[in-house]
Amino acid sequence: MIKNRLKEDEILVVPVAHDALAAKIIEKVGFEAVYVAGFSSSASVLGKPDVGLLTMDEMVNRVANVREAVSLPIFADIDTGFGNAINVQRTVREFERAGASVLQMEDQVSPKKCGHMAGREVISMEEMVGKVKAATDARRSDNTLIMARTDARTDHGIDVAIERGLAYQKAGADIIFIEAVESEDEMRQVTEAFDVPVMANMLEGGKTPLLTNQELEQIGYDVVPYPLTTVLATAKAVEAAMQELFDKGTTRDLFEELMLFDEFNDLVGLKDVQEKEALYQTGRDL
Amino acid sequence: MNNVNGKKLRERLAQEEILVVPGAHDVLTAKIIEKVGFEAVYVPGYGTTASVLGTADVGLMTLTEMTKRVTDMAEAVDLPIFADADTGYGNAINVQRTVRAYERAGASCIQLEDQVAPKKCGHMAGREVIPMDEMVGKIKAATDARLSEDTLIMARTDAYTDHGVEEAMERLHAYVEAGADVVLLESVETEDEMRASTKQFDVPAMANIVEGGQTPYLTADELQELGYSLVSYPSTAVFATAKAVTDAMSHLLENGTTRDYFDALMTFDDFNDLVGLPEVREAEVKYGTGRHFND
Repeated sequence: MIKNRLKEDEILVVPVAHDALAAKIIEKVGFEAVYVAGFSSSASVLGKPDVGLLTMDEMVNRVANVREAVSLPIFADIDTGFGNAINVQRTVREFERAGASVLQMEDQVSPKKCGHMAGREVISMEEMVGKVKAATDARRSDNTLIMARTDARTDHGIDVAIERGLAYQKAGADIIFIEAVESEDEMRQVTEAFDVPVMANMLEGGKTPLLTNQELEQIGYDVVPYPLTTVLATAKAVEAAMQELFDKGTTRDLFEELMLFDEFNDLVGLKDVQEKEALYQTGRDL
Repeated sequence: MNNVNGKKLRERLAQEEILVVPGAHDVLTAKIIEKVGFEAVYVPGYGTTASVLGTADVGLMTLTEMTKRVTDMAEAVDLPIFADADTGYGNAINVQRTVRAYERAGASCIQLEDQVAPKKCGHMAGREVIPMDEMVGKIKAATDARLSEDTLIMARTDAYTDHGVEEAMERLHAYVEAGADVVLLESVETEDEMRASTKQFDVPAMANIVEGGQTPYLTADELQELGYSLVSYPSTAVFATAKAVTDAMSHLLENGTTRDYFDALMTFDDFNDLVGLPEVREAEVKYGTGRHFND
């Protein structure tokens, strides 16, 4: 249960999986939870930037597939809730049904933008308070946690952002996320301000200084996602592999940079499939 | 209906130089493939299944899931798209729905195979093939169904592994006679067989290279010399991503940070360029959306 895990001292590290394969790898490597989030999902699914193009059901579908692929608890980015408080209620129930444990909703004007981009605006605090209440009213289980994110810091400053966070906490948010803080001092202000768990955000090349997980824990953060790592790593590796293929007309010198066929099949559970084929007598076994 | 990319592809395949078609397990990968300079991209069943479901290539993806992937890829890149349509997701009736769905979604070349459903990856054991006549019927159904004469139908046979090269070749001949525009002799194992297979057909023959699979790792030039018109690398990118993501996540777990890992990551700015953020920002200004880039 995430609720209980967040009460422990040790910070919870939740890498974002840009697809179900990345989610399986995150589980295999040994992380305790996995995130499905908009920036990397937009890139993987659409090849587009994180500017509010993915629909609710596209994201729900991603969560459902990850839910089926791993046993880890899933944090899900639900953007702005995909509309107003009425939309939020549908959204929360869909994501909950798909198997997410923590739903992260933000106070941006739709269509949202990535939290480390310029050109974001926030809705009124009151309207977001309404959305948070709508979200907590909509959930079917108390084990489904609602995380409220504010994007106010960049254009309105840390004090406004914290004020909003406090209002969302009061409205019932289980976790607070102040996006795009810009210094360690601000981080400390954030962690001291709230009674509920607080989330940091580590982006390689974003607005927030990159600290270690231990440093974040010492500052008082309870959970930290890494929204870009898998998708930035994959982009670099895929480009290098494709460039090699383009230049040489073969990949036979590239094998050390690849997970090869047999190992990859292990990763995606082919052995398990084959055992079940035998067990359930599908015919055409190995 | 026109299939402009299909027409382009037909013209390209008439040229001497072999066409290299990498597989894109997701749309981001397709954008990279286009950026690097390839002339076409392939939507592979194996890699797409791994990316979308995290599972093995054993016939789990549905027509609608794959059609969505083709749609999103056609929206993201201008390249001609080859799309794996497995067994057509059923019989000849299903095949007709499949071909039109993929075609409308933007595929230029639709690949059908003669396996018993649910299919398995072509480099796995435990595959069976349907009767040749049934596959002939599916090919005819496919060519009858297509909305544009420029859309290509590729016929793949999986007969080689369990039935040998002669059976496989007989099938491919029948499929060509039924109207197939491209042939694929899946998981062929020797260069001699490869050479013999390409010469016998009037239509282009495709090779298929899987790193760790059955087919010899010849270069594109060597494959061209053997008579192939095209070669797909369906899994290179997904194998590269699996290694890269494993390494990155292991690093994060062991070191508790990624701030010392930047050499292995594309930069945030480069990534945003890759997925077209600058173009979005220009469009926001052009169309008066408000909330522009104000840096």
